Amino acid sequence: MSTAVGAGAITPKQAVVIAGLLEFVGAYFFGKSVTETIRKGILDPSMITDPNVLVYGSVAALLAATIWLIIATKFGLPVSTTHSIVGGIAGYGIAYAGMEIVNWGKMAQIVLSWILSPIASAIMAYFIFKIFTKSIFETKDPVKSARIWSPFWIGMAFVTIGTMFYLKVLHGNDIKTGFLFYGIPVGFIVFLITYTIIRVKFPMDDPYIGVEAIFRKAQVVTSCYVALAHGANDVANAIGPVAAVYAVATMGMAGMKVPVPRWILALGGLGIAVGVATYGYRVMETVGKKITELTNTRGFTIDFSAATVVLVASWLGLPISTTHTVVGAVIGIGLARGVKAINKDIVKDIIISWFVTVPVAGLISAVIFKVLMLVG
Amino acid sequence: MQVWTKLFAKSPFKPLIKHAEVVIQTVETLEKALQAWHDGNTEEMEKLAIEVDRLEDVADRIKEEIRDSLSSKLMMAVAREDVLIYLHMQDKVADSAEDTAKWLLVKSPSNVPAEIKDVILEMGRESIKAAKLVYEAIVQMDRVIESGFAENEIKKEYELIHAIEDVERKIDGLDTKLMKLVFENSDKLDWGTGICILNIARTVSNISDKAKDAAERIRLMMNK
Repeated sequence: MSTAVGAGAITPKQAVVIAGLLEFVGAYFFGKSVTETIRKGILDPSMITDPNVLVYGSVAALLAATIWLIIATKFGLPVSTTHSIVGGIAGYGIAYAGMEIVNWGKMAQIVLSWILSPIASAIMAYFIFKIFTKSIFETKDPVKSARIWSPFWIGMAFVTIGTMFYLKVLHGNDIKTGFLFYGIPVGFIVFLITYTIIRVKFPMDDPYIGVEAIFRKAQVVTSCYVALAHGANDVANAIGPVAAVYAVATMGMAGMKVPVPRWILALGGLGIAVGVATYGYRVMETVGKKITELTNTRGFTIDFSAATVVLVASWLGLPISTTHTVVGAVIGIGLARGVKAINKDIVKDIIISWFVTVPVAGLISAVIFKVLMLVG
Repeated sequence: MQVWTKLFAKSPFKPLIKHAEVVIQTVETLEKALQAWHDGNTEEMEKLAIEVDRLEDVADRIKEEIRDSLSSKLMMAVAREDVLIYLHMQDKVADSAEDTAKWLLVKSPSNVPAEIKDVILEMGRESIKAAKLVYEAIVQMDRVIESGFAENEIKKEYELIHAIEDVERKIDGLDTKLMKLVFENSDKLDWGTGICILNIARTVSNISDKAKDAAERIRLMMNK
């Protein structure tokens, strides 16, 4: 969303309202699988008999993540909230019952998804940008091509959203049905609507300004797509442990067996929305204006690739880092020679953060958990 | 969110274009100085030659800034070496103009045959063309990247490169003509004037030489 603000497509105020709303929608409708993974996928709930352990543990995990995020931000490490929470949960689990309480299969799957998600998003952005070049910039009339292709990609985003809607909200379980009967029709309708809407005035002498002008409008939609995907995946971070506490508080250990109530997801979504409204305003103003080298076609590609990867991960119940996925997409365009200058250092920092975050957040969480158990 | 701010570095192309603008100014001022010399207006010529020197300093400062900002940690659409060498060549264009200005200041030759003066002035005029084409070429390079290295933009860039090569060839011809003229008129010129004229011609033709080298580097940048 901040990329759209930076490109002058929408005002910060509009961005905050739209982003908040869509983060909520994403969290409420698509956020369940990931929240379940955080709540009971990482540790084996049957090995925890004392309900207090779950309550203190969840609190320890949340505190540890917060502390680690503050420390890491001070050192400028691009640490992910998601990774910290996962580390925190594993940490208190190990402190309580030893190594065997952690579901290592699931854990390996999650860690692998952290490495794979930026790579997937990089590959996707690379190819989408290559297609952009071939289908728009290399044609005789780039503006005309952009008029057809920008609604096409927006349509593609809605194919994913439509399919997700079928899978997550209507609880369909056949992905093919969802894709054919929900995804494709929704995508097609959206394509038609956006195609008729896109009418942009542009100076005739420079086709690229025209193309960018079209994608500036199109980018408003993809940045909404990002907000939706972000809400779907990130609601799990804070609300996963809270849901665990709530389940135990109301139903004791039996609570771990029932699914997360919808209103808890709503609460999480609301929390993110409020966060966007209060803190996000400043971030959008500063961040958006700094990325001046990023043109709209690039921004569009980044948004589209990252959001699709994050949504697919949410469907699989994998808690991944949106930021890292976005960075992956930027690198992908860089490899396609689409960005004039990228700091390579950030890649190194991200790889360091992969190896450091889980052990450190786990350790902090374990210590807090032990203290809480002693005091409690 | 903080990751974003660290991710994007400033593109070196806008400063490169800025540098090219200063290079054009330097060469244009030199042409004015040559005109003043041609017309025998020594006072005006000296003022303009000093201005050339000052503009070359400005170009140098921009060059330093660009060099400092091009860390090896950047991932760019074109190779860092190509950008650095291109910058070096573009800066040499201004350097050559400054060298000419220096010769004009060291010894301002009087009683030079008019036909020799005419050739030198023409070389100066052509040099401006070369500097302007270099500017257009770097602006176009920015567009080539903007378009994701689209074929039609690359084609336009090649046309500019050819134009620079044409100018260079033409100045080369003028340079040869001038050398011949100097020796043909050797009985009318004292040795000091002869050396001075030959050096002025050599430094002026250097301007387009370096412009051609810069164009050569742009050709390499576009290689996939």
